[in-house]
Amino acid sequence: MKPLPPLVRVILGVAALSIGAAYVLPIWEIQLWAPQYPEGLNMKIWLSRISGDFEIINGINHYIGMRTIKAEMFPEFKVMPWLGGVLIGVGLLGALRGSRRWLRAFAGLLCLTGILGLADYYRWGYDYGHNLDPKAAINVPGMSYQPPLIGYKNLLNFVAYSGPDYGGWVFIAVGCTAVALVAWDWWHTRPAPVRP
Amino acid sequence: MNTRTYVLLPAALAFSGAAFFSGCKPKQVVVAPVQSGVAEKVYVAPGKHDEFYNIVSGGFSGGVAVYGLPSGRLFRQIPVFSQHPESGYGYTEETKALLNTSYGPQFWDDQHHTSLSTTKGEHDGRWIFANANNTPRIARISLQTFRTEEIIEIPNSSGNHSSPFVTENTEYTVAGTRFAYPLDDEGSSPDVPINTYKENFKSTVSFVAVDPQHGRMNVAFQVLLPGVDIDLARAGKLKSHGWVFFSCYNSELAHTLLEVNASQKDKDFIVAINWKKAEEYVKAGQGRKSRTKYCHNVLDEGTHTATSTVKEEVIVLDAAKLPGIAYLMPCPKSPHGCDTDPTGSYIVGSGKLAALIPVFSFDKMLAAIEKKDHEGEFMGLPVLKYESVLHGEVKKPGLGPLHTEFDGKGFAYTSFFVTSEIVKWNIQTLQVVDRQPTFYSVGHLTVPGGPTTKPHGKYAIAYNKITKDRYLPTGPELTQSAQLYDISGEKMKLLLDFPTVGEPHYAEAIPAALVAPKSKKFYKIEDNRHPYVTKSEKDARVVREGNVVRVYMTAIRSHVAPDNIEGVKLGDTVYFHVTNLEQDWDVPHGFAIKGLGAELLIMPGETATLKYVPTRVGIAPFYCTDFCSALHQEMQGYLRVSPANSRVPLTFGLGDTAK
Amino acid sequence: MHPISRSSSRLCECLRLVLVIAGAGGALVFTGCGSREQAESAAQAAPKPEEILARTPEVHGVEVKSVELTRPLKQDWVAAGRAIYDGKCLACHKLTGDKVVGPGWAGVTRKRQPVWIMNMITNVDVMLEKDAEAQKLLEQCLVRMPNQNVTVEDARKILEFMRHNDGES
Repeated sequence: MKPLPPLVRVILGVAALSIGAAYVLPIWEIQLWAPQYPEGLNMKIWLSRISGDFEIINGINHYIGMRTIKAEMFPEFKVMPWLGGVLIGVGLLGALRGSRRWLRAFAGLLCLTGILGLADYYRWGYDYGHNLDPKAAINVPGMSYQPPLIGYKNLLNFVAYSGPDYGGWVFIAVGCTAVALVAWDWWHTRPAPVRP
Repeated sequence: MNTRTYVLLPAALAFSGAAFFSGCKPKQVVVAPVQSGVAEKVYVAPGKHDEFYNIVSGGFSGGVAVYGLPSGRLFRQIPVFSQHPESGYGYTEETKALLNTSYGPQFWDDQHHTSLSTTKGEHDGRWIFANANNTPRIARISLQTFRTEEIIEIPNSSGNHSSPFVTENTEYTVAGTRFAYPLDDEGSSPDVPINTYKENFKSTVSFVAVDPQHGRMNVAFQVLLPGVDIDLARAGKLKSHGWVFFSCYNSELAHTLLEVNASQKDKDFIVAINWKKAEEYVKAGQGRKSRTKYCHNVLDEGTHTATSTVKEEVIVLDAAKLPGIAYLMPCPKSPHGCDTDPTGSYIVGSGKLAALIPVFSFDKMLAAIEKKDHEGEFMGLPVLKYESVLHGEVKKPGLGPLHTEFDGKGFAYTSFFVTSEIVKWNIQTLQVVDRQPTFYSVGHLTVPGGPTTKPHGKYAIAYNKITKDRYLPTGPELTQSAQLYDISGEKMKLLLDFPTVGEPHYAEAIPAALVAPKSKKFYKIEDNRHPYVTKSEKDARVVREGNVVRVYMTAIRSHVAPDNIEGVKLGDTVYFHVTNLEQDWDVPHGFAIKGLGAELLIMPGETATLKYVPTRVGIAPFYCTDFCSALHQEMQGYLRVSPANSRVPLTFGLGDTAK
Repeated sequence: MHPISRSSSRLCECLRLVLVIAGAGGALVFTGCGSREQAESAAQAAPKPEEILARTPEVHGVEVKSVELTRPLKQDWVAAGRAIYDGKCLACHKLTGDKVVGPGWAGVTRKRQPVWIMNMITNVDVMLEKDAEAQKLLEQCLVRMPNQNVTVEDARKILEFMRHNDGES
């Protein structure tokens, strides 16, 4: 089989390298608004850390028994930087070798990372919102506080938002690019129809 | 088609689809702008008067502030428990005694609630009562002079928070112990380890009788209770007249990390006190005389001078031993507010950690007491069954209910700290009718006449705990903020933000018509019985009594007499007894002398005294500090201070006599 | 209120204040000129006090319409009037003709009509606002005579004391 055309290889290389941006940009953001927080509370999730107003969020949430958010809460932070490196490596290898197999592996890995990431985030959010301290000062029967997966959600007096941040958007863009390359390449290398 | 693509494509779609899934931002995030047409509702044209006086507690300012409604304009700060340099309150010889306590003079306190005197449960426009939370006291302020006339210390108490709420005819103003502490049989506070809380710590609620004629206060009796933290109170009225309801938290009897340890039980209590029954016990001599020590300070309007007396005895009734005085009603999650509706039929408990509002029925409470419908005992006191005394619960009203006021039309207005809103609900049906956000995190709220049998309605005022971005920023420390809502319609309407002094907690508003006509304009010089008054300028003089020099001084536009004084020596103590001879409204004179950090502000017809101990030889100029007339700048004089051993004779004069 | 509209309304208030001050200043200048002329002409012609009063009708509201003077003086009123004088008047008015803050009292009962004196004591704000003679005195003394809240009865006693001070018996 022919190797990938040069243009595809360049795009693939650039896409793989741009994942590096995720090391210096936040991946995900959570925002909260309430009447007394009109400016909003903002929390950012990075590849290996969290930043923003999570201390204030902790201060509010302890009344309803939610756990304290801190970096140790996320074992994922130990894995994600390596995962990013693997992704970049696979993409670059594909670009250098012009290998169709490596391109597809790159696209597949990215999609898998996205899905697993969301699933993992959902699992954390469920636990964070449901696993409440029974000794909490405020206990609203039947109420849980799972943050939204993506989008907006009302939680008592707060409106919560959850969604990708710059780094997340880079991931998405790279993912889309990789999938588009696979699709484009498939279209152009598909076997000619067999005439009867 | 390549089979692998079947796997990849949906995944890619999911990826990008998820990314664009974000819903629209919900509307409540965006703060609704104030409706048009509200400006006219709060605009009081220059020279026109407001409709209500708003009598607002000053919190850590230690005083009470008076605002107009609906304009929100600040008229006056009444000094009560804190020194007030701008009027000389707490600095003058006349007012020093008002700040006496058994702990010595206290120049600051934390003023939380105001309560206006009532007759038959309605505002009578006579007095303001105000509590001091830190060193427990109750003050009485005249609504004629807007001056503090009396302060009584509450013995056997600490953290006087559930105070100074009055009974229907102002028979009593009450006090309670927010910080339970050890009380022994002698009523003093013994030296015990803090971890013996459960055995040794107690609470009391005090009933301070108010004389119907002149308002003089007297601690009539105290009811001894378990060591729960008594938080707020409201007297019964009409059918529930004769009862006072106190909320309490910390039935866990925790003494450390109360934030967690006092929030464990599902229910704390509302303590219903039958004070008529208590009176009977007192009359029958069943009370124990507790030896203690507390100050009673009274301002005499004739002499313009306060005197302080120390009292050493108070009657204590042990609620656990004398049946029929106290009953406990279980109330969810650390109740704070405890408010009785205008008919006296319902008691609204506000569990500050609860997600519902329980409304208790007074009739059901009486029936439960009658039938001994108890669910148990708490430290010797009967606990009534929650279901038996409950009128009903307001379901899912919001989070963190704190206080409830009433409009007299069958609606209640409850403030919610956590969800930062005022919620209007129907007392009978317990249905939520309307909710409006406050900016931000409301504590107390006021409806004019809200705690009386005849609320005046019309407005609700929110006293917010957080100000944030509502005004131009002034560094880290911001003004406190109140908000005015129009409640005349079905829906509440935000009308106005206005800044407040100190940290307001509770406030009461009263129609101006009940107060303004009686407002005093000046003190009649004929009625001035001050021992050092000077009623005529020709009597102005300086008298030496050993090392004490008394200056009998008069002030009238635009001079003081005498204005040249010589013969004062180092080691002397000089008293300036200044009488303002004016007899017209709004002509105060001030007085200050170089080297002394206090002033007098003397109302027409009043005498006030500044104590001055010279610290160096030389000339000390004095002058009028209140701009009084076109020649105010000329209202000045000189005091000559000579060395201790000098022989300068004592002389004084004004004009010709000073030449 | 919207912050913009609040600040603009404050601006309006400021402008209004400026206008009021400007207006008041104008009025001051105007009355100042007018009364100086009056004073000069009075000095030239040296008319008797009755004539002055006749030319500029007294304006003093409805406080005191007429005063009945009797002789001999009521000595108890004289004594009572002196006591009130000591407390409420002496700080500014001497019993001689010397001006201290206000004019000395010597001769006042011959210069002024009893009704004018009575109203000056009991109704000084209306007099200073509307009565030309009272305004003239304010210009000389620069201190508004305070309303000392003297009743009409007490003012009559002060008047009796003034007559005594002027040598009547």
